[in-house]
Amino acid sequence: MQSIATDPLTTGQTAVRVTNLAKAYGDHVVLRDVSLEVAPGTVTALIGPSGAGKSTLLRCMNLLERPDRGQIEICSHRIDASKAISAKALAPLRRSAGMVFQHFNLFPHMTVLRNISLPQQRILGRSREEADTKSMELLARMGLADKAKQYPSRCSGGQQQRIAIARALALGPEVMLFDEPTSALDPEVGVEVLEVMKELAADGMTMIVVTHEMGFAENVSDTLVVMADGGIIEQGDPQRIMRDPQHERTRRFLRAVLER
Amino acid sequence: MELLKAIALGLPMTLLVTAVALGIGSIVALPLLAGLRSGKTAVRFLTRAIIDLLRGIPPVVWLFLLFYGISAGSFRLSAFGAGVIGLGVVAGAYLTEIFRGALGGIKAGQWEASEALGLDRFTMWSKVIGPQGLRVAIPGFTTYAIGLLKDSSIVSTIGVAEIVYLTQQSARTSGQGITVYFIAAAVYIMLSMPIGMLSRNLDIKMRKAVAR
Repeated sequence: MQSIATDPLTTGQTAVRVTNLAKAYGDHVVLRDVSLEVAPGTVTALIGPSGAGKSTLLRCMNLLERPDRGQIEICSHRIDASKAISAKALAPLRRSAGMVFQHFNLFPHMTVLRNISLPQQRILGRSREEADTKSMELLARMGLADKAKQYPSRCSGGQQQRIAIARALALGPEVMLFDEPTSALDPEVGVEVLEVMKELAADGMTMIVVTHEMGFAENVSDTLVVMADGGIIEQGDPQRIMRDPQHERTRRFLRAVLER
Repeated sequence: MELLKAIALGLPMTLLVTAVALGIGSIVALPLLAGLRSGKTAVRFLTRAIIDLLRGIPPVVWLFLLFYGISAGSFRLSAFGAGVIGLGVVAGAYLTEIFRGALGGIKAGQWEASEALGLDRFTMWSKVIGPQGLRVAIPGFTTYAIGLLKDSSIVSTIGVAEIVYLTQQSARTSGQGITVYFIAAAVYIMLSMPIGMLSRNLDIKMRKAVAR
């Protein structure tokens, strides 16, 4: 891996690089030797039938799931999954990758403002004032400044997800990982979240999104990655794949999704 | 009235024994809880064995073992010391289960979010998991506390001058057997009812704050 990382041609051109990632739960293989590269400032949509391993792949990227083997590199922070992983190596990798979950996972016992400020204070060492200023700035950007003093339970699902995005952004990540960010939301509410994600993409954030929103995948993402049975079966320009899928499995999946 | 006064004199001791035993129990429960959640099978097995041992012996036997059994040279546990330690270790075993159940009620997403954000373990426990766990544990904890308040009367068997001890004394000296026990019963009710009400209020208030 050393040679790749120091190669001037590739350095700076890859925000996320996953190499030969494999994971199994007992006999059940979830990921088989998956490799993927994501260029900085691009949006990658991961689609595919359920059980394809999309979420597992995403969750392996910041080591929420421990892969059995393979390498993960996010913004030059590298981890080899087949070796013991130290907390010291894990911290910078997680710091450069923000994560947004399907079920938001806000802290229910803290106000919206504390949800966003506490991690900044603890991880970046910001003072409470600095953190709150940053939090309010992000909330305003999400159109949620009036929710700062509320508890998450007083917010709609779409609002909670935008708060969760603000919480992750507040730590200044270089890459954002989205794990089915709109799947738990009503379609109308999901739109609010997708709008925020579009703005983020337009701002040049590197994003990897596991999604079932084919519109988003086709129109917002730069690269479409189709997964099935624990592997990547096709990847490339979203419009081209949507129009002219090369792989039979992709065709079947797209047919099923589009006919719904 | 005289009798009430004599019995009520034991009230501070009852409260003290209960509070100290709960304190010891809470402290004992933490390493046991960590042991139950350990990744190592041997540690979990050993912890489980310790909990079963602590719970399996009746508190009154613990008290006698500690009070009469432990002596090194001229050192002996005082009746109070033996009482609170005995009740405390048993409480530790039960509180471990209460805390464990409370942790089980916290959604997996809370741990995942803490990890993904990169919070250190101390922050995760003190700011995210701990406060939520405590809220869930409050009803179970107070139920146990009220039970212990009454069960603390067994320390009278080794001569700690709490409510029941003084009641028995009054019964002997006054000759009014049944009356003094009625008074003791009233004193216990006056003690436990406010705790129950306080706990319920606290529970409702906290649920309101974080209602989903």
